[in-house]
Amino acid sequence: MALVQNFPFLSIILTLSGGVICSVLKGHGARKYSTFVLCTVLIGSLLTLAHVLSTGEAYVYMMGHFPAPWGNEIRVGILETMMAALFSGIMLLSLMGGMHHIFEDTEDTKSNLYFTLVMLLSASLLALVYTNDLFTGYVFVEINTIASCALVMIRYRSGKALVATVRYLFMSLLGSGLFLIGITILYDITGHLLMENIAESVAVLFKTGTYAFPLSVVIVLFSMGLAIKSACFPFHTWLPGAHGNATVSSSSILSGLVLKGYIFLLIKIFYRVIGMEIIFQQRATNVLFIFGVLAMIVGSIKAIQEKDLKRMLAYSSVAQIGYIFLGIGLGTEAGIAAACLHIIVHAITKPMLFTACGGFMDVSGGSKKFSELQGAGLRDKLSGFAFIVGAMSMIGIPFFAGFISKVYLTTSAIETLSLKTVIALAALAISTLLNACYYIPAMLVLFTHPKKEPVSVHPRPKAMSLSLWMFIGLNFLMGCFSQPIVNAVIQGIAMFR
Amino acid sequence: MAQLFVNYYETVAMIIFSIGFTTMLLNRNLIKKIIGFNFMDCAIYLFLACKGYVEGRKAPIIVNGVQSVEAYINPVPSGLVLTGIVVSVSVTAFLLALTIRLYYRYHTLDIEEIIVLSKKEED
Amino acid sequence: MLGYFLGLVLFPMLSGVLCLVPAFKDDRKRNLFVAAVLGLNFVFVLLSFMQEGAFELLHLTDHLALRFMFDGAGRFFLLLSGLMFLMVGIYSFEYMSHEHNRPRFYLFYLLTLGALNGVCLSGNYMTLYCFFELMSLLSMPLVLHSQTNESIAAAKKYLLYSVFGASLGLGGFFLFTVYGGSTAFVAGGVVADALHHPLQLSSDLLFQRNMLLIGAFLAIVGFGAKAGMMPLHAWLPTAHPVAPACASAVLSGVITKAGVLAILRVVYFLYGSNFLVDTWVQYAWVTLILLTVLVGSTLAYKEKILKKRLAYSSVSQVSYVLFGLAGLNAWSLTGALLHAAAHSMIKDVLFMSAGSIIMHGHTERADRIDGMGRKMPMTFACITVASLGLIGIPPLFGYISKWYLCTGALMTYRNFFSWLGPVVLLISALLTAGYLFTLTINGYLKNETAESDAHEAGALMLLPMVILCALIVICGLAPKLVMQLIEFINTIA
Repeated sequence: MALVQNFPFLSIILTLSGGVICSVLKGHGARKYSTFVLCTVLIGSLLTLAHVLSTGEAYVYMMGHFPAPWGNEIRVGILETMMAALFSGIMLLSLMGGMHHIFEDTEDTKSNLYFTLVMLLSASLLALVYTNDLFTGYVFVEINTIASCALVMIRYRSGKALVATVRYLFMSLLGSGLFLIGITILYDITGHLLMENIAESVAVLFKTGTYAFPLSVVIVLFSMGLAIKSACFPFHTWLPGAHGNATVSSSSILSGLVLKGYIFLLIKIFYRVIGMEIIFQQRATNVLFIFGVLAMIVGSIKAIQEKDLKRMLAYSSVAQIGYIFLGIGLGTEAGIAAACLHIIVHAITKPMLFTACGGFMDVSGGSKKFSELQGAGLRDKLSGFAFIVGAMSMIGIPFFAGFISKVYLTTSAIETLSLKTVIALAALAISTLLNACYYIPAMLVLFTHPKKEPVSVHPRPKAMSLSLWMFIGLNFLMGCFSQPIVNAVIQGIAMFR
Repeated sequence: MAQLFVNYYETVAMIIFSIGFTTMLLNRNLIKKIIGFNFMDCAIYLFLACKGYVEGRKAPIIVNGVQSVEAYINPVPSGLVLTGIVVSVSVTAFLLALTIRLYYRYHTLDIEEIIVLSKKEED
Repeated sequence: MLGYFLGLVLFPMLSGVLCLVPAFKDDRKRNLFVAAVLGLNFVFVLLSFMQEGAFELLHLTDHLALRFMFDGAGRFFLLLSGLMFLMVGIYSFEYMSHEHNRPRFYLFYLLTLGALNGVCLSGNYMTLYCFFELMSLLSMPLVLHSQTNESIAAAKKYLLYSVFGASLGLGGFFLFTVYGGSTAFVAGGVVADALHHPLQLSSDLLFQRNMLLIGAFLAIVGFGAKAGMMPLHAWLPTAHPVAPACASAVLSGVITKAGVLAILRVVYFLYGSNFLVDTWVQYAWVTLILLTVLVGSTLAYKEKILKKRLAYSSVSQVSYVLFGLAGLNAWSLTGALLHAAAHSMIKDVLFMSAGSIIMHGHTERADRIDGMGRKMPMTFACITVASLGLIGIPPLFGYISKWYLCTGALMTYRNFFSWLGPVVLLISALLTAGYLFTLTINGYLKNETAESDAHEAGALMLLPMVILCALIVICGLAPKLVMQLIEFINTIA
C-alpha cells in the first residue's frame, strides 16, 4: 500500500477539519488556511492520479477497520482523482479570482465563515467523487446542499440573494428527498449500501425479474433527484437567481463545480450501482437525452433575452448542463466520456467567465447590467481578453477548450446511428448558433466605447490577474493539447465499472 | 391495491410526503413552507424506519441474554434515520435563520410579496 | 515549408497587432508599414510558388491534425488574395483618412489577411474549418468599423450566418470522418471507387454513400454561405454596404473567394468530381446557384444605393463561379476559376470607385451620379472598363470565363440543365448590363444635378484602380497568363 494511496481519505479529513478550523480563525487567517488546504489537496490529488495511472487499476480503500460490506469504503480510480484535482484546482482559482469581492460582500465579523463553507463544500465534493457507499453519498449531498446555499446567502446586503437562496434550498431539498427515498427502496430490495454489493444484487434481481417495478421507480427517483439538484431542464428555475445574485467566487464555484458533483454521482450510480445495461433497457437515458436537448435550446433562448450579464452566464450554464445530459443520454460509453470531458471543459471555462464578470463590475461601479457595462472590456483589458476566450470556448471555436468537447459529443452521437444522432446533431448546431447569438452581442457591448465615463474604478488585485491568466492557459491547453486528458478520461471510464 | 393497506406504514409515509412537498412548494408563508419541508423529511424517515421493522420482533436491546437473530428487527435503518434527522435539523435551522433575515429585511413572511419587493430593489 | 507558412500566416497577423503600438499612431508611418507588410506578403506569395508538398503542424487530438500544403489551387488563391489586399491596401490609405479608428482597421485588415492565407494553405478539412472560422471572426470588426447601430446589427448578422454556415461545414466534416476516411486533401478525392455507382451497392455501402452525399451537401451549403449562395446569402447585402469601401472591396472580392476555395477543396479534393457527378447533390446545388444568379442580378437592378447594388451583384457573380464548380468537369472549372479572378479584380475596382464617389462625390446613391463623370473622369473610366468586363464583352477578362462556363455546361449536363444554365447566365448578363451601364451612362452623358462639388480622387486611390483595370484588359487579351496558373485543374477534374 503506497503512502500516496492514503491521500484521498486524508483530503476529505483535511477539508472537513479545515471547515472547523476556519470557523475559529479571523477572516484573513481563514483565507490563508483554506488556500493552503486547497493547494495541498490539489497537489495530493495529482500525485494520486500519477500513482493510479502508473498502476493502471483502481483500488478500494477501507475506512475504519470494518471490511466490506459492513464498513465504509472509498474507491479511487483515474476518473475520480482527475475530478478531485479539477475540483480543488478550480475552487482555488475561483477563490483567488473573487477574493476581494468575498471580503466586500460578507459581514466583517463573518468573512471567515465563507471559507468554512468553501472547505465544507470541498469536503463534500471530494467525498461525492470518491465514495463507494450510497448513504455516505446522501450525507455528503446534504452537506453540499447546505454549503452551496449558504454560499449564495452569505452576500448579506443583497435581498435578491436571500430570495434566491430560499428557492435554491427548497428545490435542492426536494431533490435530496427523492434521492433518499430512492436509497431507501434500493436498500430494502437489495439489503446493501455499498455500491458493488448493490450492483451484484441488482443484477440478480434483474435476471430473475423480481422487484422490476421498484427498480424502475428507484432509477426514476435517483435521476430526478439528482437532475433537480444539477439544474437539468425542467428543474432549472432556481439557477439564474442563485448564480446571478451570488458573489463572484460563489457563482464560479456553484456553476463550475457543485452542479458537476451531482452529475458525477449520477454517472457513478448509473455505472456502479444499477449497471448501464439496465439503465439502457429502462430507457432512462432517453428521458435524460430529451431533457438535455431541451435544456440546450431553452437555456440559450432565455440567455438571449437577459439584460444582466451574470444571469446571462447562469442561463448559459443551464444550456451547458444540457450538453452534459445529452452526452449521458446517448447511453454509450463514448457518450459518457464526452459528458465527462464537457464537465472538465465547463469547469475551466465558466468560472473564468464569472471572474471576468467580476472584473467588469469592478470597473463599472459595481453594476452588472449591460447598460452600465459598455466598454468594460476596454477598461479592464485582461478581463476582456478572458471573456473573449471564455465566450469563444462556449461557442465552440477551434483552438479553444469548448471545441474539443463538442467534437467528442458529435463523434459519439454519430457512432450509434439512430434517431438520437439526428436530434443530437441538430441540437448541437442550433445551440452553437444560439450561443453565438448572446455571446457575440455581449462582447460587442463590452468592447464599444462608452458614452460616459464610469463612476468608480477599483484596481485589479494580483490574485485575480494570476487566476485569470491560469484559466486562460488551461483553456488553451485543453483546446490544443487535449489528447492526454481525453485518453485519461476514457481509461478512467473503463476502470469505472 | 390491497398491498397499499398491507404496507400501511409506507402508504401513510407517502401521503405525508405529498402533503409535505406540496406545502413546501405551493404555500406562500415561509414558516409553513418550513413545516412542509419537515413533514416531507419526516415522511421519508418514517418510510426508512419501517423498512427495518419486522412484524412481531423486538428492538435489539438485550433482555435475558441474546436471543436468536430472528428475535430482533433490522437496526441499520434506524441508524440511517438518525443521520437523516441530524441533516433535517440542520437544514431547518438554516431555513429558520434565513426566514429571520428575510423578515427583518422585508417585514413579511409571504414569499410572493418578498419576491416582488426584492425585484424592486437595486442590486 | 514551415518558414513559408510562418511568413504567410503569422507575419501578417503579428504585423497587424503591431499596428496598434503607439509608434504607429502617426498615419504616415503606419501607412508605410502596412504597405511594406502587404508588399512583403505579395513577395512571399510569389516565392512560395516554388514550394510543393505538405506538412503537419500541430495535433489538437490524436485524430485532429493541422495540416498545411502548397499546391496549385492554394497558390492561385494566395496570389489572388495577396494582389487584391495589396491594391485595396494602397487605396485605403487615402480613403481611410476620413474615417475614425484607423489603427484598429489595419489591425483587423492584416489579421484577416493572415487567416485568409491560412485558409489557402490548408491541407485537410479540420485546418480549413479552423482558419475559415478564424477568418470570419477576424473580418467581423471590419464590418462594424463605423460603429453605427446599422453596422453593429450588420456585423452580428454577418457573424451569425458565418458561424451557422461553418457549423454546417463542420457537420459535413463529421460525416466525412465517420463514413469517408481520412480528411487530408488529395487531388481527385479520397472516396473509394466502389461507392461511385449506386446501382451495384449492398445496403451497407448504399447507406455509407448516402451519408457521404448528405455530408457533401451540408458542406456546400455551409461554406456557400460565405460565398453568398442561397439560402444563406442574406448577410451579404446587409454587411457589404455598411463597411468602409476598402473593407467592402476585400469582403466582396476576396473573402467570398475563400468560400469558393473551401467548396473547391471539399468537392474536388475530398469527395472527387466523379463521386458527385449526376447525383442529387449536384442538381440541388445547381438549382440553388441558378436561383441565386437570377435573384442577385434582379435585386441589383432595382437597387438604388450604390454599394448595395454592388453587393447584390457580388451575390450573383460569385454564383457564376460556383456554377462552374458545380459543373464537375474541366471546362466548367476553368471558367469558374477564371471568373473568380476576373470578378475579384472587377468587383474591387467597382467598390473602390464607389468609395471614391462616396468620398469625393459625396453621394451614396446611383441615381445621384448624373454628370459626375465629367468631374471624375478617371473614376468613371475605371467603372466603364470594369463593367464591360463583368458583362462579358470581349476582349476584356470577364468574356473568356463566361465562354468557358457556358461551354462546360452545354458539354456535360445530360438533361435540361445543359441549356438552362447558359440561358440564366445570358439573362443575368443582360441585367448586369442594365445595372452597370446606367452608372457609366448617367455619369458621362447626363447633365449634372445643380450643386455638386465632386472632384477627382487622389493618386493613391486612383493608382490601384488603374492597375487593376490594366490587368483586366491584359488578362482579357492574353488569358494564357492566368491559364498557366490553373493547370492544376487537369489533376482534379
